[in-house]
Amino acid sequence: MIEFKGVTKEYQSGAALAAINLRVASRELFVLVGPSGSGKTTLLKTVNRLVVPTSGQVLIDGVDVAAGNLQELRQHIGYVLQSSALFPNMTVLQNAGVQLEALGWSKAKIRPRIEQLLQMVDLDPAIYANRKPAELSGVEAQRVGIVRALAADPKLMLMDEPFSALDPVSKRQLQQLILKLHRELATTIIFVTHDMHEAMLLADHVAVIHDGHLQQVGRPQEIIGAPANEFVANFFKDIIEDHQTLRQVVKAGFGQATGPSPSPTLVALPPETTIYQWAALIQNQPLVQVKVNQTTLAATDLVSYLASLEKEVATNVQ
Amino acid sequence: MFNETIHYAQTNGHEILVALGQHIEVALIATIITILIAIPLAVVLMNHRRGGEFVLQVASVIQTIPSLAILGLLIPLVGIGTVPAIIALVLYAIMPIFQNTYAGLTNIDPLLIEAADAMGVSKRYKLLRVQIPLAMPMILSGIRIGVVMIIGTATLAALIGGGGLGTYILLGIQTNNNPALLIGAILAAALALVASWLIKLLSHTSLKRLLIGLVALVAVGGGVYGVRAATAPKTETITIAGKMGGEPEILINLYKDLIEADNKHVNVELKRNFGGTSFLFKALKAQQIDIYPEFTGTVLQSLVKTDSAISHDPQSAYQDAKNGLAQQFKMSLLRPMAYQNGYGMTVTRQTAAKYQLKTISDLAKYPQLRAGFDPDFFQQSDGYPGLQKTYGLNFKNVKTLEPALRYQALAQGDLDVSDAYTTDPQIKKYDLVVLTNNKSFFPPYQGAPLMLTSFAQDHPQIVTSLNRIAGKISTKDMQAMNYQVTVAHQKAAVVAKRYLQAHGILKQD
Repeated sequence: MIEFKGVTKEYQSGAALAAINLRVASRELFVLVGPSGSGKTTLLKTVNRLVVPTSGQVLIDGVDVAAGNLQELRQHIGYVLQSSALFPNMTVLQNAGVQLEALGWSKAKIRPRIEQLLQMVDLDPAIYANRKPAELSGVEAQRVGIVRALAADPKLMLMDEPFSALDPVSKRQLQQLILKLHRELATTIIFVTHDMHEAMLLADHVAVIHDGHLQQVGRPQEIIGAPANEFVANFFKDIIEDHQTLRQVVKAGFGQATGPSPSPTLVALPPETTIYQWAALIQNQPLVQVKVNQTTLAATDLVSYLASLEKEVATNVQ
Repeated sequence: MFNETIHYAQTNGHEILVALGQHIEVALIATIITILIAIPLAVVLMNHRRGGEFVLQVASVIQTIPSLAILGLLIPLVGIGTVPAIIALVLYAIMPIFQNTYAGLTNIDPLLIEAADAMGVSKRYKLLRVQIPLAMPMILSGIRIGVVMIIGTATLAALIGGGGLGTYILLGIQTNNNPALLIGAILAAALALVASWLIKLLSHTSLKRLLIGLVALVAVGGGVYGVRAATAPKTETITIAGKMGGEPEILINLYKDLIEADNKHVNVELKRNFGGTSFLFKALKAQQIDIYPEFTGTVLQSLVKTDSAISHDPQSAYQDAKNGLAQQFKMSLLRPMAYQNGYGMTVTRQTAAKYQLKTISDLAKYPQLRAGFDPDFFQQSDGYPGLQKTYGLNFKNVKTLEPALRYQALAQGDLDVSDAYTTDPQIKKYDLVVLTNNKSFFPPYQGAPLMLTSFAQDHPQIVTSLNRIAGKISTKDMQAMNYQVTVAHQKAAVVAKRYLQAHGILKQD
């Protein structure tokens, strides 16, 4: 478990972090999300002390990161940077083995370990092990960056906007890779991004940061369903709008008040149910009526609601 | 010019190679020392911006001091020879190598440094595996600039007895010997190009190999030096130096032949074109050289302090010089040779005929003649100012110019009258007339070996050997030998040996 206790960072230009309190459970994929300059990267770097907080503590499994040997601390934390930041003078194998070398592994032990990890990130060691970073594409380089971070089998991996420089296709590939690795490995991951879609896709829990202040912490669905404040609602606006629920259908004025003697086919659904889940239900039982709180919705309401969205889009276009 | 240069290179091939070797040796040692200072310094200071900037400033200031001045400043501190030359070169080359290394180390992408830190690598690993390899292209370009600078500046080492290719450049300028000048300049330039190219090749080599190469180079160099030192025969080496030019070179070769013929266990090392009078005199005083040929006139004019006027009688002038040196400096001036190499006034044969000039006094009647003098002669009291008083000379048009150029200017008709050294071969070459010193104004300049009295006492057999040419070698002999060396470009060693054998002083081989 990683705990941030009142972590504050002040620069001469002002405060970057204002007394952040946060807990990250073991084995979870925790995403810090926020706009540029929000302090999310600064917060991430307090974990491996690339940033030393002005006040406050960061604890890993109850041990203050400031307490022990700094080099030792870092040797057991994986770190993936924005660009791959591979050393241009070293081969893929050497780059990925840097942390193992620091830990005193022999060359004979490093090679099989790195080859195994290269395979795990879908890079053929026979082809890639002896290449220089200049001979890699951006996505290949970042795969090597991930291998470098995972080499020492760390309990904790920090990722600082690792995919922000990649094209959308490569980005999706690597997001899937991270989800796969997270399922297979017992590693806690703290992942920084400014991309809310990425946050929603990857996170077990999300922390939203703005201007050095924590705005909201929770599961992605919770944040979308109930943004804590206007900033969070605004930040996730695109997703919330894409994420159509029965609550929005009712709010838009569709459906009828449920009568005193409801039909026996009426199915009660929570307001968070998406319209897609509703459509799937209608596909199976075309005549099904659903009850959301005090409102009854029929299949025709779905069609009308979708049509009203079309009008909205058309109006926007004009 | 081309043929002359080739001829000169052929006749002096061995000496040129030795000078080239010296040049490479001095440049290599200076380069290695500079690298060993500049790179670690940059490494230490890369995380201390202020210190780094300070060193950069200091190095830049050193760079602005003319190299000649640095050499001059170093003489009282470390003497003459290769040591001050190397120190000066190191001081010069520190700036480009330090600057580039420092810039290379401080301009590495901060993300890479962050990555290295975040991996928890040691400082040493970060330095050797990340920072230095990434700064290597910059470091090598700094070394390249430094080496080219060292090779170029090393030509000045010749001024303070450091040898090298500069010897030929200086000799060329001093004696108007263009082939020598060309050879020195071309070889120095070629050496710089080759070195620059070699370093470029090295830039494609890995750091590990570079380090191994450097260590191997130092080891081989040290080994060769050690072996040479260990296997060198246990003979005594004495050093004889000479002033700039052909005549001193002939004299020191005569000394060498005489000494080595009589003393089987003495090895004579010659330092030709070693510098000017005061420089050689200081070197002798500091025991950096053992013997050099000096002239009585020079001793009385510039070295010893005398209350009485300088005698114009050769015999008493020699006694004054000898006694002055012995009392004031504990030096011994051996007996002089027959010839005198002093100042004289010279005109072309046509001018002499036209104005009926025979003596210096005759010149006083023609103030319209255009005169050209050596700058020293123009200023010294035993030069033109003295002449004006003694002979009533008063030329309206007086120029000063390089001694080597005045004969040519006379021959071409750009000048009518100039000062001359009486043994200069150009007098013969251009068919000039030396006017009679009828009021004995010029002091006699008689050449003799000068050494410390302690050295003379410890080496009586060497004194005996050198005295074998006392009272020998006429002005005509010397002029002929000077002609063979300076104009006909024969080797001084050959000319000296030929003279000794022809006059029965040494046996034929």
